[in-house]
Amino acid sequence: MNLLRVDLALKSQTACLERFQFILKASFFFLLFTIALPGIHVPDVDAAESQINCSIHDGACSLSLPGFEVTLDIRPKPVKAMHDLVFSVSFSGGEPDGAPYIDLGMPGMKMGPNRVILEKISRTVYRGKGVIVRCPSGRRTWKATVTVPSRGKADFIFDVVY
Amino acid sequence: MLSIDALYLIFFTTGFTVGFGHCIGMCGPLVVSFSLNLKGKNIFVSHGFYNAGRILTYAVLGGLMGVAGSFTAVSAKIVGLQQGAMIATGVLIIVMGLAMNEGLPFGKYFRRENPAGGIFARGFRKLSTIESAYAYFPIGLLLGLLPCGPVYTALIAAAGTGIEAPNALYGFLSGAGLMIVFGLGTVPALILVAKLAGLGWLTSRRLIYQLGSILMILVGVVYIVRGFRS
Repeated sequence: MNLLRVDLALKSQTACLERFQFILKASFFFLLFTIALPGIHVPDVDAAESQINCSIHDGACSLSLPGFEVTLDIRPKPVKAMHDLVFSVSFSGGEPDGAPYIDLGMPGMKMGPNRVILEKISRTVYRGKGVIVRCPSGRRTWKATVTVPSRGKADFIFDVVY
Repeated sequence: MLSIDALYLIFFTTGFTVGFGHCIGMCGPLVVSFSLNLKGKNIFVSHGFYNAGRILTYAVLGGLMGVAGSFTAVSAKIVGLQQGAMIATGVLIIVMGLAMNEGLPFGKYFRRENPAGGIFARGFRKLSTIESAYAYFPIGLLLGLLPCGPVYTALIAAAGTGIEAPNALYGFLSGAGLMIVFGLGTVPALILVAKLAGLGWLTSRRLIYQLGSILMILVGVVYIVRGFRS
Protein backbone atom coordinates (compact mmCIF):
# COMPACT_ATOMS: atom_id res chain seq x y z
CA MET A 1 0.00 0.00 0.00
CA ASN A 2 2.80 2.33 0.99
CA LEU A 3 4.73 1.45 -2.13
CA LEU A 4 1.68 2.28 -4.25
CA ARG A 5 1.34 5.65 -2.53
CA VAL A 6 5.01 6.45 -3.13
CA ASP A 7 4.62 5.40 -6.77
CA LEU A 8 1.55 7.61 -7.21
CA ALA A 9 3.27 10.56 -5.54
CA LEU A 10 6.30 10.12 -7.78
CA LYS A 11 4.12 9.95 -10.91
CA SER A 12 2.26 13.07 -9.81
CA GLN A 13 5.53 14.88 -9.17
CA THR A 14 6.93 13.83 -12.56
CA ALA A 15 3.76 14.97 -14.35
CA CYS A 16 3.90 18.29 -12.51
CA LEU A 17 7.57 18.72 -13.42
CA GLU A 18 6.87 17.89 -17.10
CA ARG A 19 4.02 20.40 -17.15
CA PHE A 20 6.28 23.04 -15.63
CA GLN A 21 9.01 22.28 -18.18
CA PHE A 22 6.49 22.52 -21.02
CA ILE A 23 5.17 25.88 -19.78
CA LEU A 24 8.73 27.15 -19.43
CA LYS A 25 9.72 26.02 -22.91
CA ALA A 26 6.49 27.24 -24.51
CA SER A 27 6.93 30.65 -22.81
CA PHE A 28 10.44 30.85 -24.18
CA PHE A 29 9.19 29.96 -27.67
CA PHE A 30 6.51 32.66 -27.66
CA LEU A 31 8.97 35.16 -26.24
CA LEU A 32 11.22 34.35 -29.20
CA PHE A 33 8.34 34.82 -31.65
CA THR A 34 7.23 38.05 -30.00
CA ILE A 35 10.74 39.48 -30.10
CA ALA A 36 10.82 38.56 -33.75
CA LEU A 37 7.51 40.23 -34.54
CA PRO A 38 8.34 43.04 -36.92
CA GLY A 39 7.79 46.42 -35.35
CA ILE A 40 7.79 45.23 -31.75
CA HIS A 41 11.57 44.85 -31.71
CA VAL A 42 12.04 48.42 -32.89
CA PRO A 43 13.37 50.62 -30.09
CA ASP A 44 11.01 53.25 -28.73
CA VAL A 45 10.16 55.62 -31.57
CA ASP A 46 9.21 58.45 -29.18
CA ALA A 47 12.58 58.14 -27.42
CA ALA A 48 14.39 58.54 -30.75
CA GLU A 49 12.21 61.49 -31.77
CA SER A 50 12.81 63.26 -28.45
CA GLN A 51 16.53 63.33 -29.25
CA ILE A 52 16.02 65.43 -32.40
CA ASN A 53 18.26 68.49 -32.21
CA CYS A 54 18.27 69.60 -35.83
CA SER A 55 15.58 70.70 -38.29
CA ILE A 56 17.58 69.82 -41.38
CA HIS A 57 14.73 70.56 -43.82
CA ASP A 58 14.68 74.19 -42.72
CA GLY A 59 18.40 74.82 -43.07
CA ALA A 60 21.86 74.07 -41.67
CA CYS A 61 22.30 73.02 -38.03
CA SER A 62 25.15 73.95 -35.68
CA LEU A 63 26.66 72.30 -32.61
CA SER A 64 29.62 73.30 -30.44
CA LEU A 65 32.82 71.35 -30.04
CA PRO A 66 35.76 72.47 -27.90
CA GLY A 67 37.35 75.39 -29.72
CA PHE A 68 34.85 75.90 -32.52
CA GLU A 69 31.35 75.49 -33.88
CA VAL A 70 30.44 72.74 -36.38
CA THR A 71 27.70 73.34 -38.93
CA LEU A 72 26.07 70.55 -40.96
CA ASP A 73 23.97 71.07 -44.05
CA ILE A 74 22.42 68.44 -46.32
CA ARG A 75 21.07 69.15 -49.79
CA PRO A 76 18.77 68.93 -51.71
CA LYS A 77 15.89 69.77 -49.41
CA PRO A 78 13.68 68.32 -48.14
CA VAL A 79 16.19 65.66 -47.14
CA LYS A 80 14.88 62.38 -48.57
CA ALA A 81 15.96 58.82 -47.85
CA MET A 82 17.17 56.71 -50.80
CA HIS A 83 18.32 59.77 -52.73
CA ASP A 84 21.82 61.06 -53.48
CA LEU A 85 22.61 63.77 -50.94
CA VAL A 86 25.42 66.29 -50.57
CA PHE A 87 26.69 66.75 -47.03
CA SER A 88 28.54 69.96 -46.13
CA VAL A 89 30.41 70.52 -42.88
CA SER A 90 31.78 73.95 -42.05
CA PHE A 91 33.64 75.32 -39.03
CA SER A 92 33.62 78.71 -37.38
CA GLY A 93 35.95 79.94 -34.66
CA GLY A 94 38.77 77.62 -35.71
CA GLU A 95 40.03 75.04 -38.20
CA PRO A 96 40.03 71.25 -37.85
CA ASP A 97 43.35 69.40 -37.57
CA GLY A 98 42.34 66.85 -40.22
CA ALA A 99 39.51 66.02 -42.61
CA PRO A 100 36.27 65.33 -40.75
CA TYR A 101 33.91 62.52 -41.75
CA ILE A 102 30.25 61.66 -41.14
CA ASP A 103 28.81 58.36 -39.90
CA LEU A 104 25.12 57.88 -40.65
CA GLY A 105 22.93 55.73 -38.43
CA MET A 106 19.68 55.55 -36.51
CA PRO A 107 19.50 56.30 -32.78
CA GLY A 108 19.32 53.01 -30.92
CA MET A 109 19.43 50.76 -33.99
CA LYS A 110 22.37 49.13 -35.75
CA MET A 111 22.20 49.84 -39.46
CA GLY A 112 25.75 48.93 -40.47
CA PRO A 113 28.62 51.28 -41.31
CA ASN A 114 27.56 54.10 -43.63
CA ARG A 115 30.36 56.68 -43.77
CA VAL A 116 30.40 59.87 -45.82
CA ILE A 117 33.97 60.83 -46.76
CA LEU A 118 34.37 64.60 -46.92
CA GLU A 119 36.70 66.48 -49.22
CA LYS A 120 38.29 69.79 -48.39
CA ILE A 121 36.67 72.68 -50.26
CA SER A 122 38.33 75.44 -48.28
CA ARG A 123 40.12 75.75 -44.93
CA THR A 124 36.83 75.57 -43.04
CA VAL A 125 34.45 73.85 -45.47
CA TYR A 126 34.28 70.11 -46.32
CA ARG A 127 31.84 68.36 -48.62
CA GLY A 128 30.90 64.78 -49.58
CA LYS A 129 28.17 62.61 -51.09
CA GLY A 130 26.11 60.00 -49.30
CA VAL A 131 22.77 58.24 -49.01
CA ILE A 132 20.44 57.90 -46.04
CA VAL A 133 18.62 54.59 -46.41
CA ARG A 134 15.01 53.83 -45.70
CA CYS A 135 14.12 51.78 -42.62
CA PRO A 136 11.17 49.43 -43.34
CA SER A 137 10.04 49.85 -39.72
CA GLY A 138 8.83 53.32 -40.71
CA ARG A 139 11.18 55.17 -38.37
CA ARG A 140 12.46 58.41 -39.88
CA THR A 141 14.82 59.73 -37.22
CA TRP A 142 18.45 59.61 -38.31
CA LYS A 143 21.74 60.59 -36.76
CA ALA A 144 24.72 62.10 -38.55
CA THR A 145 27.81 61.92 -36.35
CA VAL A 146 30.46 64.38 -37.51
CA THR A 147 33.87 63.25 -36.28
CA VAL A 148 36.59 65.89 -36.19
CA PRO A 149 39.99 64.26 -35.65
CA SER A 150 41.51 65.08 -32.26
CA ARG A 151 38.60 67.43 -31.43
CA GLY A 152 35.60 65.16 -30.86
CA LYS A 153 32.23 64.24 -32.29
CA ALA A 154 28.99 66.13 -32.87
CA ASP A 155 25.69 64.20 -33.16
CA PHE A 156 23.10 65.83 -35.41
CA ILE A 157 19.73 64.08 -35.00
CA PHE A 158 16.96 64.87 -37.47
CA ASP A 159 13.97 63.50 -39.34
CA VAL A 160 14.14 62.57 -43.01
CA VAL A 161 11.37 62.30 -45.59
CA TYR A 162 10.46 58.86 -47.01
CA MET B 1 39.68 54.41 -48.97
CA LEU B 2 39.66 50.95 -47.36
CA SER B 3 40.95 47.93 -49.27
CA ILE B 4 38.47 45.34 -50.55
CA ASP B 5 39.77 42.78 -48.01
CA ALA B 6 39.19 45.19 -45.13
CA LEU B 7 35.70 46.01 -46.45
CA TYR B 8 34.85 42.30 -46.67
CA LEU B 9 35.96 41.75 -43.09
CA ILE B 10 34.00 44.79 -41.88
CA PHE B 11 30.82 43.69 -43.63
CA PHE B 12 31.13 40.06 -42.52
CA THR B 13 31.36 41.36 -38.94
CA THR B 14 28.49 43.77 -39.63
CA GLY B 15 26.36 40.89 -40.95
CA PHE B 16 27.15 38.87 -37.84
CA THR B 17 26.29 41.67 -35.40
CA VAL B 18 23.17 42.98 -37.15
CA GLY B 19 22.12 39.35 -37.57
CA PHE B 20 21.61 39.06 -33.83
CA GLY B 21 19.64 42.33 -33.71
CA HIS B 22 18.09 43.66 -36.84
CA CYS B 23 17.81 40.40 -38.86
CA ILE B 24 16.14 38.51 -36.02
CA GLY B 25 13.57 41.30 -35.98
CA MET B 26 13.08 41.39 -39.74
CA CYS B 27 13.58 37.78 -40.86
CA GLY B 28 12.89 36.13 -37.49
CA PRO B 29 9.14 35.74 -38.08
CA LEU B 30 9.84 34.08 -41.45
CA VAL B 31 12.42 31.74 -40.02
CA VAL B 32 10.16 30.81 -37.09
CA SER B 33 7.28 30.23 -39.52
CA PHE B 34 9.41 27.95 -41.70
CA SER B 35 10.55 26.00 -38.65
CA LEU B 36 6.94 25.58 -37.53
CA ASN B 37 5.99 24.48 -41.04
CA LEU B 38 8.72 21.83 -40.97
CA LYS B 39 7.02 20.40 -37.86
CA GLY B 40 10.06 19.11 -36.05
CA LYS B 41 11.96 17.79 -39.10
CA ASN B 42 15.66 18.51 -39.53
CA ILE B 43 15.79 22.24 -40.10
CA PHE B 44 19.41 22.58 -41.22
CA VAL B 45 19.03 21.47 -44.85
CA SER B 46 15.85 23.52 -45.47
CA HIS B 47 17.19 26.63 -43.77
CA GLY B 48 20.52 26.10 -45.53
CA PHE B 49 18.71 26.27 -48.88
CA TYR B 50 16.70 29.32 -47.70
CA ASN B 51 19.88 31.15 -46.69
CA ALA B 52 21.65 30.14 -49.92
CA GLY B 53 18.79 31.62 -51.96
CA ARG B 54 18.77 34.80 -49.88
CA ILE B 55 22.54 35.26 -50.21
CA LEU B 56 22.40 34.63 -53.98
CA THR B 57 19.87 37.46 -54.32
CA TYR B 58 22.11 39.70 -52.21
CA ALA B 59 25.05 38.78 -54.47
CA VAL B 60 23.17 39.64 -57.66
CA LEU B 61 22.00 42.96 -56.18
CA GLY B 62 25.54 43.71 -54.97
CA GLY B 63 26.93 42.84 -58.40
CA LEU B 64 24.46 45.17 -60.11
CA MET B 65 25.37 47.94 -57.65
CA GLY B 66 29.05 47.29 -58.36
CA VAL B 67 28.52 47.54 -62.13
CA ALA B 68 26.40 50.69 -61.85
CA GLY B 69 28.64 52.25 -59.20
CA SER B 70 25.50 53.85 -57.82
CA PHE B 71 23.18 52.73 -55.05
CA THR B 72 20.29 55.05 -55.85
CA ALA B 73 20.23 54.26 -59.59
CA VAL B 74 19.69 50.53 -58.96
CA SER B 75 17.55 50.80 -55.82
CA ALA B 76 15.05 53.06 -57.62
CA LYS B 77 14.49 50.28 -60.16
CA ILE B 78 13.86 47.50 -57.62
CA VAL B 79 11.39 49.30 -55.34
CA GLY B 80 8.42 47.60 -57.01
CA LEU B 81 10.07 44.17 -56.75
CA GLN B 82 10.72 44.75 -53.05
CA GLN B 83 7.11 45.75 -52.42
CA GLY B 84 5.98 42.61 -54.24
CA ALA B 85 8.37 40.47 -52.18
CA MET B 86 7.02 41.96 -48.94
CA ILE B 87 3.40 41.27 -49.92
CA ALA B 88 4.20 37.77 -51.22
CA THR B 89 6.00 36.99 -47.96
CA GLY B 90 2.95 38.11 -45.98
CA VAL B 91 0.66 35.88 -48.06
CA LEU B 92 3.05 32.92 -47.68
CA ILE B 93 3.15 33.25 -43.89
CA ILE B 94 -0.64 33.63 -43.63
CA VAL B 95 -1.21 30.54 -45.78
CA MET B 96 1.25 28.53 -43.68
CA GLY B 97 -0.45 29.77 -40.51
CA LEU B 98 -3.94 28.88 -41.76
CA ALA B 99 -2.84 25.41 -42.80
CA MET B 100 -1.30 24.76 -39.39
CA ASN B 101 -4.40 25.42 -37.29
CA GLU B 102 -7.30 23.02 -37.64
CA GLY B 103 -9.59 25.30 -35.67
CA LEU B 104 -9.32 28.31 -37.94
CA PRO B 105 -11.84 29.05 -40.70
CA PHE B 106 -10.49 28.53 -44.23
CA GLY B 107 -7.59 26.54 -42.78
CA LYS B 108 -8.92 23.30 -44.28
CA TYR B 109 -8.46 24.68 -47.81
CA PHE B 110 -4.72 24.84 -47.30
CA ARG B 111 -4.13 21.44 -45.73
CA ARG B 112 -2.85 18.40 -47.57
CA GLU B 113 -5.88 16.22 -46.81
CA ASN B 114 -8.26 18.70 -48.48
CA PRO B 115 -9.58 17.08 -51.66
CA ALA B 116 -10.74 20.40 -53.20
CA GLY B 117 -9.46 20.99 -56.71
CA GLY B 118 -8.90 24.17 -58.68
CA ILE B 119 -5.74 26.07 -59.45
CA PHE B 120 -5.85 28.30 -56.37
CA ALA B 121 -6.67 25.53 -53.91
CA ARG B 122 -3.92 23.31 -55.31
CA GLY B 123 -1.40 26.15 -55.47
CA PHE B 124 -1.98 27.36 -51.93
CA ARG B 125 -1.96 23.81 -50.64
CA LYS B 126 1.45 23.21 -52.18
CA LEU B 127 2.65 26.49 -50.69
CA SER B 128 1.42 25.68 -47.20
CA THR B 129 2.69 22.12 -47.11
CA ILE B 130 6.18 22.68 -48.46
CA GLU B 131 8.07 19.50 -47.75
CA SER B 132 11.03 19.48 -50.10
CA ALA B 133 14.10 21.20 -48.69
CA TYR B 134 14.90 22.46 -52.21
CA ALA B 135 11.67 24.50 -52.19
CA TYR B 136 13.24 26.79 -49.62
CA PHE B 137 15.85 27.91 -52.16
CA PRO B 138 13.44 29.88 -54.43
CA ILE B 139 11.75 31.21 -51.28
CA GLY B 140 15.16 32.51 -50.16
CA LEU B 141 15.70 34.04 -53.60
CA LEU B 142 12.43 35.96 -53.28
CA LEU B 143 12.89 36.95 -49.65
CA GLY B 144 16.40 38.26 -50.34
CA LEU B 145 14.58 41.18 -51.95
CA LEU B 146 12.89 42.21 -48.69
CA PRO B 147 13.72 45.84 -47.88
CA CYS B 148 16.08 46.03 -44.92
CA GLY B 149 18.21 48.90 -43.58
CA PRO B 150 21.50 47.01 -43.01
CA VAL B 151 21.17 45.32 -46.44
CA TYR B 152 20.81 48.77 -48.00
CA THR B 153 23.90 49.93 -46.11
CA ALA B 154 25.90 46.96 -47.41
CA LEU B 155 24.61 47.70 -50.92
CA ILE B 156 25.88 51.29 -50.64
CA ALA B 157 29.33 49.84 -49.89
CA ALA B 158 28.93 47.40 -52.81
CA ALA B 159 28.20 50.35 -55.10
CA GLY B 160 31.27 52.08 -53.65
CA THR B 161 33.50 49.18 -54.67
CA GLY B 162 32.19 49.58 -58.23
CA ILE B 163 33.19 53.24 -58.40
CA GLU B 164 36.82 52.25 -57.94
CA ALA B 165 36.66 49.14 -60.15
CA PRO B 166 38.79 49.18 -63.32
CA ASN B 167 36.06 47.44 -65.35
CA ALA B 168 32.44 46.24 -65.14
CA LEU B 169 33.36 42.60 -64.43
CA TYR B 170 35.57 43.58 -61.49
CA GLY B 171 32.82 45.91 -60.29
CA PHE B 172 30.27 43.07 -60.44
CA LEU B 173 32.53 40.59 -58.66
CA SER B 174 33.63 42.97 -55.92
CA GLY B 175 30.05 44.13 -55.24
CA ALA B 176 28.73 40.55 -55.28
CA GLY B 177 31.58 39.36 -53.04
CA LEU B 178 30.87 42.03 -50.47
CA MET B 179 27.19 41.07 -50.31
CA ILE B 180 28.07 37.36 -50.05
CA VAL B 181 30.29 37.90 -47.00
CA PHE B 182 27.64 40.20 -45.47
CA GLY B 183 24.96 37.55 -46.06
CA LEU B 184 27.15 34.79 -44.63
CA GLY B 185 27.63 36.90 -41.51
CA THR B 186 23.86 37.00 -40.93
CA VAL B 187 23.42 33.20 -41.21
CA PRO B 188 24.42 32.11 -37.64
CA ALA B 189 21.74 34.26 -35.99
CA LEU B 190 18.99 33.05 -38.31
CA ILE B 191 20.00 29.39 -38.00
CA LEU B 192 20.01 29.77 -34.22
CA VAL B 193 16.48 31.21 -34.27
CA ALA B 194 15.38 28.45 -36.67
CA LYS B 195 16.82 25.78 -34.37
CA LEU B 196 15.23 27.27 -31.24
CA ALA B 197 11.86 27.47 -32.98
CA GLY B 198 12.33 24.01 -34.50
CA LEU B 199 10.28 22.51 -31.67
CA GLY B 200 12.47 19.43 -31.37
CA TRP B 201 12.80 20.28 -27.69
CA LEU B 202 9.09 20.63 -27.02
CA THR B 203 7.20 17.62 -25.72
CA SER B 204 3.69 18.78 -26.65
CA ARG B 205 3.42 20.63 -29.95
CA ARG B 206 -0.28 20.86 -30.68
CA LEU B 207 -0.87 23.98 -28.57
CA ILE B 208 2.28 25.60 -29.95
CA TYR B 209 1.12 25.04 -33.53
CA GLN B 210 -2.31 26.48 -32.78
CA LEU B 211 -1.08 29.61 -31.02
CA GLY B 212 1.93 29.93 -33.33
CA SER B 213 -0.36 29.88 -36.36
CA ILE B 214 -2.29 32.89 -35.03
CA LEU B 215 0.96 34.79 -34.50
CA MET B 216 2.03 33.84 -38.02
CA ILE B 217 -1.20 35.25 -39.48
CA LEU B 218 -0.67 38.51 -37.56
CA VAL B 219 2.92 38.73 -38.82
CA GLY B 220 1.71 38.04 -42.38
CA VAL B 221 -0.81 40.89 -42.14
CA VAL B 222 1.95 43.24 -40.88
CA TYR B 223 4.13 42.31 -43.87
CA ILE B 224 1.29 42.89 -46.36
CA VAL B 225 0.40 46.28 -44.82
CA ARG B 226 4.08 47.31 -44.90
CA GLY B 227 4.36 46.12 -48.48
CA PHE B 228 1.48 48.36 -49.57
CA ARG B 229 2.65 51.30 -47.46
CA SER B 230 6.31 51.25 -48.52
